[in-house]
Amino acid sequence: MSTADAMTAADLLSLLQGTVVTVALSVSGIAIGVPAGLALALLLWRRVPLLRHIIPLYVSIIRATPLVTLGLLIYFALPAMGLQIGPVTAAVVTLAINTTAFNCEIWRAGLIDFPRDQIESAQAFGMSWPHIVWRIMLPQVVRTCLPALVNEMTLLLKGSPAIAVIGIVDVTRAAVRIGANTYEPLPPFLVATAIYAGIVFVFVRMQRWLEAFSLRDEAET
Amino acid sequence: MNKRRMSLFSRRSVLAGAAAAFASSSFAIAHAATFEEIKKRGYLLVATEDDFKPFEFVQDGKPTGFDNELLELLRQYAQFEVRQDIIPWTGLLAGVSTGKYDVALTAALITKERAKSLDFTAPIADATHYFVKRKGDTSIKEIKDLNGKILGIQAGSGLLQRLPELEAMLAKTNGKIGKVVEYTSYPEAYQDLGLKRTDFVINTIINIQALVKEKPNVFEVGLPVSGKSYPAWAVAKGNAELLAFLDGFLAEQKKNGNFAKLQEKWFGQAFPDLPEKWEPEF
Repeated sequence: MSTADAMTAADLLSLLQGTVVTVALSVSGIAIGVPAGLALALLLWRRVPLLRHIIPLYVSIIRATPLVTLGLLIYFALPAMGLQIGPVTAAVVTLAINTTAFNCEIWRAGLIDFPRDQIESAQAFGMSWPHIVWRIMLPQVVRTCLPALVNEMTLLLKGSPAIAVIGIVDVTRAAVRIGANTYEPLPPFLVATAIYAGIVFVFVRMQRWLEAFSLRDEAET
Repeated sequence: MNKRRMSLFSRRSVLAGAAAAFASSSFAIAHAATFEEIKKRGYLLVATEDDFKPFEFVQDGKPTGFDNELLELLRQYAQFEVRQDIIPWTGLLAGVSTGKYDVALTAALITKERAKSLDFTAPIADATHYFVKRKGDTSIKEIKDLNGKILGIQAGSGLLQRLPELEAMLAKTNGKIGKVVEYTSYPEAYQDLGLKRTDFVINTIINIQALVKEKPNVFEVGLPVSGKSYPAWAVAKGNAELLAFLDGFLAEQKKNGNFAKLQEKWFGQAFPDLPEKWEPEF
């Protein structure tokens, strides 16, 4: 039962195509979720009326909803409401809605911890709020939040097979298909595991690089 | 793999069911397209699976199997376009009951529970449950030899619901079912059978024949362990005209011999005596 006789070149190709899908969808989700989470956290932190009640509700609901359920709801419930939505869009929306909630919590923690005296000093110099956030707070908060954000990214990546439920063929689904065909589920899943590990490794390298970059940045300023 | 097919209450089906229930109850506008509406919009949307060999599976990136070949014939038969979505079993029945898909073009076992929310076409195969054992395992020759042996089966499955039938068979010779090991999917159950972690696995005759054909040196077909059971295509409950159209198509394929030919090709045998309609007993 070696990998060689259980998997063909076409199988490996389908796993690679699945890899592209997994990376593309996860990165799309992250690209929307990280800034969206920050926006929600800032709104919460500024105690914007009404939103300060709605955002925690959103976060609580999404934290309690499994990705599979969320994907099914978005894919099957939205058309019932008259909004036609394709599987790829539904998948990106699902991942983004999910990770935004978690990222919001991460950013919120970073903002809560931010020392007030810095803000007061900045105000004393007459800096505007957007200016304070952009120049004083963000550079520091990003650094604090980065490990947790990258952690959430890897969780999203590994949770992404859930969206196969609406017909997306990611790495895991490609492996399932091969196993169902060859009756040898182990070889494709081992390859899939190696692929996930490889992607996570890239994420972590990126985190290290960003950390080094921001430290150097700080040294220069 | 039919394990999941058999019970609406398998783990993943529960999620799908919950989503379907949510979608249909809270919006109340979800409804399956009628045959008139399908003709008017110009296409029929069917959903198939991707990991249910030999009915529907993906080989070298292309969908194939018994149902996919029938789907090709359906495309020639229909006066309108037939579109296909390939999705996992989990979302499939939910998709049909919310009206996202018109037909679950897959081998869904006809069960009493499912007949509450879905209407089924004429059966497309015989799905009587058999056991499969390791090739050359001489300790299992008859049903009574299964006494105390370790059984591998899919978790939350309808096959589990029908184990009392095997229990009754064994009871005649004062036997009992041994330890039951549940798996999330059949490929894993087969793998453990090969590794001697279990002594036999129960699945439908078609799945078992497909397995044995693929791995003749490892596995061997056993004996039937249940009464009659049939899989069929499904449409939303009450979609009578669409059901009649699909039944008409299936009857035509039976008459012109395509049906038997495809069964021969994918199941290794034809089932000429399938009932026209099947009222589930379980």
